[in-house]
Amino acid sequence: MEGVIAIWQRDVIKFFRDRARLIGSFAMPFMFLILFGSGMSGAMSSMIGGAESAGPLADFDFVEFMFPGIIGMTVFNTAIFSAMSVVQDREFGYMREILVSPMSRVSIAIGKVLGGSTVALFQGLMMLIFVPFIGVTITFSMVLQLIPVMFLVAFALSAIGLLIATTLKTSQGFQMVIQILIFPMLFLSGALFPLSGMPTWMNFLVKINPLTYSVDMFKKIILQPEQMAPALREAMGLNLSVFNHVITFSEEVIVVSLLSVIFIVLATVRFSKSEA
Amino acid sequence: MAENIVEVKGLKKHYKDFEAVKGVDLVIKEGEIFGFLGPNGAGKSTTINMLSTIIKPSSGTATINGYDTVKKKNDVRASIGLIFQEQTLDEKLTANENLMLHCKFYNIEKHKREERIQEVLEIVDLTDKRSNIVETFSGGMKRRLEIARGLLHYPKVLFLDEPTVGLDPQTRNHIWEYILKLKEKAGITIFLTTHYMDESEICDRVAVMDNGKLIALDTPEALKNNVGGDIIEISTEDNAKAKKRIEETYNTEVSESDNKTLTFQVNKGSEFLVNFVKEFDISITSVNLRRPTLNDVFLNLTGREIREETMSKRDLAKKQMKRGPH
Ligand SMILES: Nc1ncnc2c1ncn2[C@@H]1O[C@H](COP(=O)(O)OP(=O)(O)OP(=O)(O)O)[C@@H](O)[C@H]1O
Ligand SMILES: [Mg+2]
Repeated sequence: MEGVIAIWQRDVIKFFRDRARLIGSFAMPFMFLILFGSGMSGAMSSMIGGAESAGPLADFDFVEFMFPGIIGMTVFNTAIFSAMSVVQDREFGYMREILVSPMSRVSIAIGKVLGGSTVALFQGLMMLIFVPFIGVTITFSMVLQLIPVMFLVAFALSAIGLLIATTLKTSQGFQMVIQILIFPMLFLSGALFPLSGMPTWMNFLVKINPLTYSVDMFKKIILQPEQMAPALREAMGLNLSVFNHVITFSEEVIVVSLLSVIFIVLATVRFSKSEA
Repeated sequence: MAENIVEVKGLKKHYKDFEAVKGVDLVIKEGEIFGFLGPNGAGKSTTINMLSTIIKPSSGTATINGYDTVKKKNDVRASIGLIFQEQTLDEKLTANENLMLHCKFYNIEKHKREERIQEVLEIVDLTDKRSNIVETFSGGMKRRLEIARGLLHYPKVLFLDEPTVGLDPQTRNHIWEYILKLKEKAGITIFLTTHYMDESEICDRVAVMDNGKLIALDTPEALKNNVGGDIIEISTEDNAKAKKRIEETYNTEVSESDNKTLTFQVNKGSEFLVNFVKEFDISITSVNLRRPTLNDVFLNLTGREIREETMSKRDLAKKQMKRGPH
């Protein structure tokens, strides 16, 4: 148990010590939210809201729409990239110090995933700094809801990252694979633009994408769709449904939890078999 | 059982069809300093890695502190300290953090940690660097910190894989002082590898490894005695002629290094030398008499010298990459 904490602690300490990484982590969300989001918002509003300046759809605000997605993106990226520390530890030799200790391989794997999830949770929470500038209202109770959800999502993604990290030898290779994986997953998750009127094949990809359900949890907490006009809700793609069944928040929690369990088991098994 | 802290029987390791270690047998007593001497690629690290559970042997068995290195991995791991050939510190953390993590990895009780960390830092003279980030340490300091870390959990056996490689002579001497201090203070068994001859002379026993096999195993003294007599090194104005003359007159084998020095062995070196210098008719430019070193032992056993220069370019590059700053 102490081993788990030690492994976790090391990654967390290193995260807070790395100023450049801390500051750099704001760059991507900033660009998406302020440059891309604000730039697109006019076009998006007229596309979705139509010409009419009245009616429910006039309330559509693209930056507001994007915000939960940007939080999601930050959490996904940080969590899945955190597993790079496993590859780097192997490259720089520290993994040998870890592997030759009497700690069980399972504790090491779990410590690593918890470390990644914690770091991703912090990064996600740091995105709330943008709140005053983009005109979304975030209440204290929303933050309290966000924390466990972010952690759950981060845990699933960290486990996926660890699974990939155990199969790759170099950090360049790892970065490439993650990059190739995370971009389509992001685009097909509804994080960056509303998904509606897609071709069937794309719709299928969206529905099997775990990020879809993760992003949707953030949207449900932050955007409060149940208080929106139905037409607006539809336009913002907030009626996520599978086989005509509208997915509830608890169902999403269950889906992501199940995925977490599956991936942590796979990653731990694989990690236990790897040699130093 | 406790007397033989390390027992190795028929240990082999092959990578695909290449046999890196071709069957090693040895027994090490508690408290011994045991040296593994051999050129690059001899299989020293591979053997250490098998003994320390890092890699799985292809066949054969090894026990450490009575525990089998394959079946009782975790007991073995708790019994050993390991200083790898490559650096394995976390350079972004402080010395203290590196040590503290190690305490936690090895489940050292909370109330003992502080005392232990102070103790090991004192052994390697790093007490005042305790809260510095490791990145700012010199190569020798990093090495010493690794040794300190390896000692934290009071291992029964400390493995040191080339503890002084890449360090300047002064730092090397320091490290050896620390290691000797350790033996006296903690009474632990030390298993080290090196390809520096002078270093293996501090060992109680030395195994000479070449091409994956142990070709000799004895005390440094006994190994040297096997060489037979003292070593004379001379250079002359005409080495080729001198070589022939010596071989004919004294019936001994002369080897020549770098076209400059002739080396041969004789009994009772000092008496021999007095007459030799008087009688020899080719003009001698320098002469030197010395006791055999382990280098001579290796030369005698294999016909080759152990030298840094024999390292292939690829090995060198590999080593630099691993040791270099990240
Ligand atoms: N993972 C591996 N795959 C294939 N061959 C390997 C592997 N590890 C080591 N070898 C080979 O096994 C041989 C022994 O290597 P080892 O590292 O044990 O040598 P060494 O005696 O420690 O040498 P050095 O003094 O350079 O450290 C070498 O020829 C090396 O190329
Ligand atoms: Mg080696």
